Amino acid sequence: MLRLNRHLAASLGALYLSGFAVAEPAPLTPDQIKAATLTDEFSVPTPGEFMAALNKTGKMDWASKARPPIPTNFSSRAQQALNLGTLIADGYIAVESEDKQAVKNVGRDIVDLAKPLGVKEEIVNRGKSLTEFADDAQWDVLREELEATQNEVKVKFSENDDKDLITLVTVGGWARGTEVVAALIAQNYTPEGAKLIRQPGIIDFLSARLDELPPKLRDDPAVKRARVKLIELKATVSFPRETTPDADAVKKVATLAGELVKDLARKDLK
Amino acid sequence: MNRTLIALASILCAAAFAVAPSPTDDEVAARKTVLELAGAFSNDGFKLRDGHWSGPIKPGESKLVQVNLYAGNEYYFAVAGTGTAKKMTLSAYDETGAAIEIEDPFQEGATAAIGFSPVASGPYYVKVEQIEGEPTAYCLVCSYK
Repeated sequence: MLRLNRHLAASLGALYLSGFAVAEPAPLTPDQIKAATLTDEFSVPTPGEFMAALNKTGKMDWASKARPPIPTNFSSRAQQALNLGTLIADGYIAVESEDKQAVKNVGRDIVDLAKPLGVKEEIVNRGKSLTEFADDAQWDVLREELEATQNEVKVKFSENDDKDLITLVTVGGWARGTEVVAALIAQNYTPEGAKLIRQPGIIDFLSARLDELPPKLRDDPAVKRARVKLIELKATVSFPRETTPDADAVKKVATLAGELVKDLARKDLK
Repeated sequence: MNRTLIALASILCAAAFAVAPSPTDDEVAARKTVLELAGAFSNDGFKLRDGHWSGPIKPGESKLVQVNLYAGNEYYFAVAGTGTAKKMTLSAYDETGAAIEIEDPFQEGATAAIGFSPVASGPYYVKVEQIEGEPTAYCLVCSYK
């Protein structure tokens, strides 16, 4: 495999150097754009990808964005799934902070929260890997492990006929990632950083998916809260491409996403 | 070397667990080929987004998927078809539908790859086209750094 990769890299490199003229494709029509496929696993980036983009704008104090432990014994499966997403985002924050103990703590909470969702075996193994890689300070590997953890949970939901929970994990992860990234951008404001919070495609996709949930799940208090908050957030992350939000606009995104994340972790949510 | 091996193991593991409705044998074969292609980019610091997009495709047919990207990151998209595909191509578009200029696209038989750095965060579109060959399956993956 390694030899093959080297050969591929070499041949790709040669082609990059030589280059070749390619006719520019015709623009897409509005109908084509409307008919484009959107999938949870391919169209929505992970919190780690969002954080990678932010890291290019300067050094960030990721550790300052850690939060106190949240409950892991929610009675509602929807609330469990939403908080599982926020915890996976917490894992990325712990990795960015290079905080071994925080990675282990988050890994343990992910396992606790995932058990009642029917993904115990897979998650316990992932939890062990997170601990081992944290002990060895293998931060790049941990980023991949977190991404694989999120994906594995979603696969298990898919196999268990719990497909609707996949969207909820994604919503939780996106909300926590957006809260933290927006808060860091507001703290270290730059126009380049501020432009990162533009995410109209993601919020449209997530809102639509929540609206399509079966009535029982849609009426869960945590899901209802998420639906309302995403509508508020939509206005703040859907600005035109040429616009650069100011620091107050960025803070508003952090505040709204933070309110949602806090609400999702409330055990008295009604 | 160890990191590369671990990264490759993770890529293959991710492929095995990717969320998708039971893939066909052709889709599995296309995924294997595209992961080998994407592996070349991992040597250059690109991380594979843990997911893929696959399905059947016919000659002359195109498939379009929305991807949400962040300005500041660099992205590479790679596609592969199975043995019956003779030529696959990739193109990318911004949210208005305008084609993105790709400096040095890679195209070799049933594989293709394009790379670009988005100027604005937001939705983009990637089109997979089968130019020549028999009906086949494709698999598209995304790498970023």
